[in-house]
Amino acid sequence: MTYNKLTEVHLDALREVSNVGMGHAATALSQMVGETIYLHVPQVTLTDIMNVPDLLGGPEQVVVGVTLQVRGDARGNILLVFPRESAEQLVCHLLGRCPHDDLFDEMGISTVKEVGNILASSYLGAMSSLLDLSLIPSIPALANDMAGAVIDFLLIELSEEGDQALMIETEFHGNSPDEKLIRGHFFLLPDPASLEVIIDAVGGLNDNT
Amino acid sequence: MTIRERVGISEYRIASSPQELVTYGLGSCLGVTIYDPESKRGGLAHTLLPKPRPGMDTSRKSKFVETAIRLMVEELVERGAALDCLEAKVFGGANMFESLQGEGGKSIGERNIDCARETLADLGIVITAEDVAGNFGRTLVFALATGKVTVKSVREGRKELEF
Repeated sequence: MTYNKLTEVHLDALREVSNVGMGHAATALSQMVGETIYLHVPQVTLTDIMNVPDLLGGPEQVVVGVTLQVRGDARGNILLVFPRESAEQLVCHLLGRCPHDDLFDEMGISTVKEVGNILASSYLGAMSSLLDLSLIPSIPALANDMAGAVIDFLLIELSEEGDQALMIETEFHGNSPDEKLIRGHFFLLPDPASLEVIIDAVGGLNDNT
Repeated sequence: MTIRERVGISEYRIASSPQELVTYGLGSCLGVTIYDPESKRGGLAHTLLPKPRPGMDTSRKSKFVETAIRLMVEELVERGAALDCLEAKVFGGANMFESLQGEGGKSIGERNIDCARETLADLGIVITAEDVAGNFGRTLVFALATGKVTVKSVREGRKELEF
């Protein structure tokens, strides 16, 4: 299945499934940081790979990206993008101390990776049981750099198949009153070859209801 | 005022002095400039993959290192550049995530770099500067007036460099 064959109904289904997954992920993050995490309505965007960096806030914005591959019945990539200040905030919050100069020392990196791991696992866990598919996250990898550079390996992977990217995206943020918001974007980028598996599973879901 | 034109991912552009070509946030992607010092005209490509493999969608030739270089060279020669005067510079091809090293082999960044070197050697074009590999992103500003390329990075301890 290629991206071009996706109908509005398919996109709606993907949005809904992602909403459920993200709900679980937000709950996990809330428990971790001890504050409510709010979610925006998920967006499903089918776009030229050329536009992806701009959708992430611009190719030169400095971000911390955590990426995990999805393996199992369907394949794809998960990407978690935090603006640099948010990642710092998250690390301070979770470690109970702020690293002085170099935020991304071993502990900082480990902490952000673990957040990615927990979010991805709860997201995929919810999606797995909803769709009756086996979806397993890989070990997380982290990069702290310009958004364009952090994500281009994903675009490279997608460009082997075509020139388009399907992004299922949710923006989330905390509610701390002191301006230091934790915010970030969660992306699922399914491989074109795996779309059919997901759409089929969603179809099965609709039949039962 | 200098006109600055942006080159997006999987694109290439040709421009001439006093224009500037800019491309943002190269990670594993490869940026290649070809410059003709005579006419002060040149091209910048932001490529993703080395070369088309059988069965690959090749409708957008400029996303491949090999075809983007050949297209830029063709266009410059068509506009009057002498092939043996052209100078090339190669940037990017980083490996942003240490753990995503290609399975038992070269990373995509390295394969892109190799492909650029091979293609340019094949065309007989000299590489006059390279700033490749590493694990950080690069933004390129290519000034057609001088042929110089400014490389910006946000990595600490690395300043703006000119090639």
